[in-house]
Amino acid sequence: MFYIIGLGLCDEKDITVRGLEAVKSCSRIYLEAYTSILMVDKSRLEAFYEKPLILADRDMVETESDEILRGADKENVGLLVVGDPFGATTHADIILRARALKIPVRVIHNASIMNAVGACGLQLYNFGQTVSLVFFTDTWKPDSFYDKIKENADLDMHTLILLDIKVKEQNEENLARGRKIYEPPRYMSIPQAVSQLLEIESLRQSEILVPEKTLAIGLSRVGGDESQQKIVSGTLADLATQPAEVFGEPLHSLVIVGKKLHHLEVEYAQQYAVNATNWRNVARDVYGCALDD
Amino acid sequence: MVNFTVDQIRALMDRPTNIRNMSVIAHVDHGKSTLTDSLVSKAGIIASSKAGDVRFTDTREDEKERGITIKSTAISMYFQVNKEEIDAIKQKTEGSEFLINLIDSPGHVDFSSEVTAALRVTDGALVVVDCVEGVCVQTETVLRQALTERIKPVVIINKVDRALLELQVKPEELYQQFSRTIENVNVIISTYHDAALGDVQVYPDKGTVAFGSGLHGWAFTLRQFATRYSKKFGVDKEKMMGKLWGDNYFNPVTKKWTTKGTADGGKTLDRAFNTFVMDPIFKIFDAIMNYKKDSVFGMLEKLDVKLVPEEKDLEGKALLKVVMRKFLPAGDSLLEMIVINLPSPATAQRYRVETLYEGPMDDESAIGIRDCNPQAPLVLYVSKMVPTSDKGRFYAFGRVFSGTVRAGPKIRIQGPNYVPGKKDDLFVKSVQRTVLMMGRYVEPLEDCPAGNIVGLVGIDQFLLKSGTLTTSETAHNMKVMKFSVSPVVQVAVEVKNAADLPKLVEGLKRLTKSDPCVQAWIAESGEHIVAGAGELHLEICLKDLQEDHAGVPLKISDPVVGYRETVKTESSIVALSKSQNKHNRLYLKAQPLDEELTLAIENGKVNARDDFKARARVMADEYGWDVTDARKIWCFGPDTTGPNLLVDVTKGVQYLNEIKDSCVAAFQWATKEGVCAEENMRGVRVNILDVTLHTDAIHRGGGQIIPTCRRATYAACLLATPGIQEPVYLVEIQCPENAIGGIYSVLNQRRGQVFSEEQRVGTPMFSVKAYLPVNESFGFNGALRSATAGQAFPQNVFDHWDTMNGSPLEKGSKLEELVKNIRIRKGLKPDIPPLDTYYDKL
Repeated sequence: MFYIIGLGLCDEKDITVRGLEAVKSCSRIYLEAYTSILMVDKSRLEAFYEKPLILADRDMVETESDEILRGADKENVGLLVVGDPFGATTHADIILRARALKIPVRVIHNASIMNAVGACGLQLYNFGQTVSLVFFTDTWKPDSFYDKIKENADLDMHTLILLDIKVKEQNEENLARGRKIYEPPRYMSIPQAVSQLLEIESLRQSEILVPEKTLAIGLSRVGGDESQQKIVSGTLADLATQPAEVFGEPLHSLVIVGKKLHHLEVEYAQQYAVNATNWRNVARDVYGCALDD
Repeated sequence: MVNFTVDQIRALMDRPTNIRNMSVIAHVDHGKSTLTDSLVSKAGIIASSKAGDVRFTDTREDEKERGITIKSTAISMYFQVNKEEIDAIKQKTEGSEFLINLIDSPGHVDFSSEVTAALRVTDGALVVVDCVEGVCVQTETVLRQALTERIKPVVIINKVDRALLELQVKPEELYQQFSRTIENVNVIISTYHDAALGDVQVYPDKGTVAFGSGLHGWAFTLRQFATRYSKKFGVDKEKMMGKLWGDNYFNPVTKKWTTKGTADGGKTLDRAFNTFVMDPIFKIFDAIMNYKKDSVFGMLEKLDVKLVPEEKDLEGKALLKVVMRKFLPAGDSLLEMIVINLPSPATAQRYRVETLYEGPMDDESAIGIRDCNPQAPLVLYVSKMVPTSDKGRFYAFGRVFSGTVRAGPKIRIQGPNYVPGKKDDLFVKSVQRTVLMMGRYVEPLEDCPAGNIVGLVGIDQFLLKSGTLTTSETAHNMKVMKFSVSPVVQVAVEVKNAADLPKLVEGLKRLTKSDPCVQAWIAESGEHIVAGAGELHLEICLKDLQEDHAGVPLKISDPVVGYRETVKTESSIVALSKSQNKHNRLYLKAQPLDEELTLAIENGKVNARDDFKARARVMADEYGWDVTDARKIWCFGPDTTGPNLLVDVTKGVQYLNEIKDSCVAAFQWATKEGVCAEENMRGVRVNILDVTLHTDAIHRGGGQIIPTCRRATYAACLLATPGIQEPVYLVEIQCPENAIGGIYSVLNQRRGQVFSEEQRVGTPMFSVKAYLPVNESFGFNGALRSATAGQAFPQNVFDHWDTMNGSPLEKGSKLEELVKNIRIRKGLKPDIPPLDTYYDKL
């Protein structure tokens, strides 16, 4: 059996009971570590699961799937994935490969940022398409996410934006020459994300991300305890001016609030606001939300 | 004594109309450096008695030992033109004082990159042609280079003393020889005719051709003789010059000028050139060499040449030298010819700006260059680096085209890859000192205004080899120089003691800086590779590296040749590669580019930095491209300028522009290291037919697309009948008839092909031209010498890339063997990777 096991969001203890049973039954366990990262390191997981883990980077999952799947038709092999196995589309491929090799697959779900984003107080029902925001370079500024935010905005929906992480990435030269030399890890911060959003807004001018008139909520380490989880809300202009420390440790996500805004949502997220009065004013004046004074 | 001061020179620098920037160019051994001595001695920098022996501009030990020039050397001189001649100057001038910045350049083809660097900073050229050997292959190369840079030529026919002393020709024969040589020069000039430069053919009767002997230190133009005779005949000087050349005869009986060679009585007349110009010279030669001293002194009196008593005691050649030098001093005639006929920076920059500057012709920099305005923003082009006495440091040598350069203010140092508005390849630093380059010395200068050649201290570490310096934020680059030679011969170097490795690395850096053409890099196998234009060039570079730049003992491999990888047909099927995460697919096809277009890219006629619409027009009109395709060229490669193209021929693909960057990056590396042997690719067009992409940008970043595009490019090439091109030299060999057999046999052993063999008119010498693969050229000179008893002298110039017969994919073929050897040398797996390494099935 090939298990793909969601680890949840925070630390080793977020694994489900079913997931833990599966881990214990496996003869080989891989830990996928590039689409997201856990807040604790590998040794804590190993100590808790009482099993050694094999770190699987992007290269391994994508190119050495045969090695990962080796023997999975006779024994149990596990692939641990931070969040939920289907949180990112990347893992569909390995399941297809397992099927092609006639290996039975069992997926064990867990919480993902896709649902935990509810922590910010916005209703999950009203989220539209999720988009990723990648690190811009001088010459590479993919802006197709903007169209998707616009589609969501046109339907008055919220947009969850996942911020880029670069763990074990090669630079262009090494990529092109096929050399496995990696750059130090990088995580996109909220202020950087906001400035990239505003950069594209100023190019496209569709007025869906006007800094003073757009509400947004930044999230960090969702699912962690008090000291870790940080939620900060405000207009894009408010968020852009905050120092990076305010937003906590990576990983970060950002929500662009849609126009279909319930007054309870406003009340709830207000506790995280950088500037509570401004938050209420914009919600009332721009978003047209009826608020009790 | 030096007859001018630095202050005088500095004062003249402010008068761009009275500056002449000129280079001396020629075939090897036609006597440039020796002739330059005459000019330098005129300026009093060396004693005139030593001129012709010192070779002042050959500053390096090995240049003196070998008797050839290796590096170009600049020198500034002050010259006062005879007041009577000022009217002959057909451009704006102030006063009769002139500043002449002269650059002596090497003649050997291996060093022609030095010539290119010299030509860039000058406006005129003195082309030296050997009177006996005539126009040779390198004469043509340098002349062509000069004309494409819009440099105006004047010619001196040198070594006339040899014709008189060794060959003992008659005046009429000599005249014929002269006019043939001039005609040959003019044929080349008219081949590379440029409307903006106008007619620059040379004519003795217009004073743009001089005759003389650098070794003996004498030379003349018809202007000097015309000055002598115009009074006597009462004819205008310009008219007189016309009479002294061509079919003009003077009948001494009727005292009348005629254009017919026979007088009424059927008596043949002597050509005026022979009567009035050559005859006195012949007589002096005859009298002195045959020891008829009495008649010599009589003649000298008539010619108004005065000798000091001890000179009168001289005999033979020594006397001849003194007499001729006093009669027709080379320095005066040549400097006069230069001042009168070559353009000043103020004149030249007006028509050169279009070919020099990359930006729009109406921005402040372009206008500053056009007007040669010292008050405009600074635009300075650094064409080469000159080593200083301080080891490892260099003077940046270049020309101020606009504005004024001085120590202190911050200036922008833009490397060749600088793009306006971006920050790549850009430094903002200040110049520490400005200096005047005087051959082996330098003189400090406070500042240097537009139109002058200058050396800069303190910016060498910010420039690799060349670049643009400016104070204008909006300035584009000056155009990069195109070299006529390319570094096709390589050697691997390693240190004998492992501890010396850091010195080698540092030494290689200095070496690449000090030479415009040499390249050095680290191969995949970890070897340090040095590449040069030819065997001699490499030899000199390695000597410098070993003795100077690195200063450590080195092991040097046998030379090897760089090849090019190409394709011969269109890919037989569409090459498909999937990204690692399987969410993205690229569909590519490769096809060969036309050789003409490939050459046009290599020569810079079709340039990656051109406006894409204008370029598309040219490609459609001249190379038969579809305009839409031509507009959708994503990039050139390798190094963003190479002769391979990546073209987007997709129809309506979403997000395509978001992967462009990744594809461009992949294409650079794929074309730099081709699929067969990791040699550069050449003449390949890769079409992107279709792509399927993941909707979210994070799943189609560089990490996914770059390797995929590279693999797809390789697959497309493997499917398109890959071929290998090798560099081929054009070899010109001068030899007597009996040596021709030996030449043929040596060439035959080395896959050489003779395509022309002709006798030089009026000489017993033959000139043989052949194509010779560079790979076969190692030791060619030695083999030729021994096969012809030392009578044949070859000159090798890189000519073209030749596609080799066969396919590297064919097992057991010669080409496969060749590719295998390259791969093993580079530390790769011996076999070319099979198609399925790069090609994914659907």
